[in-house]
Amino acid sequence: MPIIEITFYLFAAVLVGAAVMVISVRNPVYAALFLVLTFFSAAALWLLLEVEFLAIVLVLVYVGAVMVLFLFVVMMLDINLAPLKEGFIRYLPAAITVAVVMAVELMMVLWVRGKFGSEAFESPVPHPPDYNNTKEVGEWLYTQYMLPFEVAGIILLVAIIAAVALTLRRRPEAKRQDPARQVQVKRDDRIRMVKMKSETKVEE
Amino acid sequence: MLTLAHFLTLGAILFCLGVAGIFVNRKNVIILLMCIELILLAVNMNFVAFSRFLGNLDGQVFVFFILTVAAAEAAIGLAILVVLFRNRKTINVAELDDLKG
Amino acid sequence: MLAEYFPILVFLGVSTMLGVVLLGLGSLLGPRRPSSEKLSPYECGFEAFEDTRSKFDVRYYLVAILFIIFDLEIAYFIPWALALDTLGTFGLFAMVIFVVELVIGFFFVWKKGALEWE
Repeated sequence: MPIIEITFYLFAAVLVGAAVMVISVRNPVYAALFLVLTFFSAAALWLLLEVEFLAIVLVLVYVGAVMVLFLFVVMMLDINLAPLKEGFIRYLPAAITVAVVMAVELMMVLWVRGKFGSEAFESPVPHPPDYNNTKEVGEWLYTQYMLPFEVAGIILLVAIIAAVALTLRRRPEAKRQDPARQVQVKRDDRIRMVKMKSETKVEE
Repeated sequence: MLTLAHFLTLGAILFCLGVAGIFVNRKNVIILLMCIELILLAVNMNFVAFSRFLGNLDGQVFVFFILTVAAAEAAIGLAILVVLFRNRKTINVAELDDLKG
Repeated sequence: MLAEYFPILVFLGVSTMLGVVLLGLGSLLGPRRPSSEKLSPYECGFEAFEDTRSKFDVRYYLVAILFIIFDLEIAYFIPWALALDTLGTFGLFAMVIFVVELVIGFFFVWKKGALEWE
């Protein structure tokens, strides 16, 4: 079924192109948006593998939350872009060298040794229509991986506490309302009756 | 026909791009965090592919945990970044060389 | 199984094509006669005073961080809810412990006043 291969190559090309743009554009806002495209293409590729739950989680959590936070932070910081990009050309040869050497090594492991082709791992059977990937993950996660699951809860708790401890600051200069005190105000707190003589007529 | 090697190759390319990004963007902490996300995505791609081709759900559960930890890491990393910028008015790695805060 | 996602693929293709075609037609067929007057910056008749990229304070970012964390918590609920029938009491108590952990975090945030808008 060639349409699956076409889709794979299409999304893989978008994924790699967007990843190249993430590391090469000047503006961090564009980098964040290209990272969104990268995650989206990765989610599409995972759907091709019929790993539906993780594809949806990737879109929900990463595209929906983490990248929004990245954009917030990029917009909050008044960044002078010029000094941050200097050295791009200087380190480009080293980066290309390291990346190409690593890529060649990984390709040698993958293709030359040839243990990962179709002869070693046959294609997975497509799931039947009533297969529920999310349910299967749940049944596996909450039995075999119960303890790591609770540890993940602890990690999230630590993340909450760390985020609040790091970034929460009071703003003493901010004016704020206290509705409880507003409704408790008595008449005498606000109005003072002054007895004074009536003004005499000024002689001209 | 899609084989396991297709997905592993894609993961390898993504990983190399993430590492190259750390080299060329070594001044900008925000882009460095994004490169770490790219590397984690490459690892997740391999986990998912292996999980599916071995017919084993462990890989998918692992990816879920990695996503959890990576999201917490991004949240705290960005919080540190905000505090850093508030105190030092820069996020240039080259200028963050004092031991005293 | 994958065939069910085919309409989404078609949708993605059509929307991409539509965007590319419309933008391409606009840039190909539209008249373009730029002059120095047209390209100069215009802001109520003055030259622009400063760069448009200025920092602004997004106070919401602590809420955004907390949103990520509780979003992940919700993501953990979905497979649990689907598999609860087979998990039984064991799965129920696993989730109770998890929720208690996060409720502790929620009360911490609440008592610290991190959710208050000032």
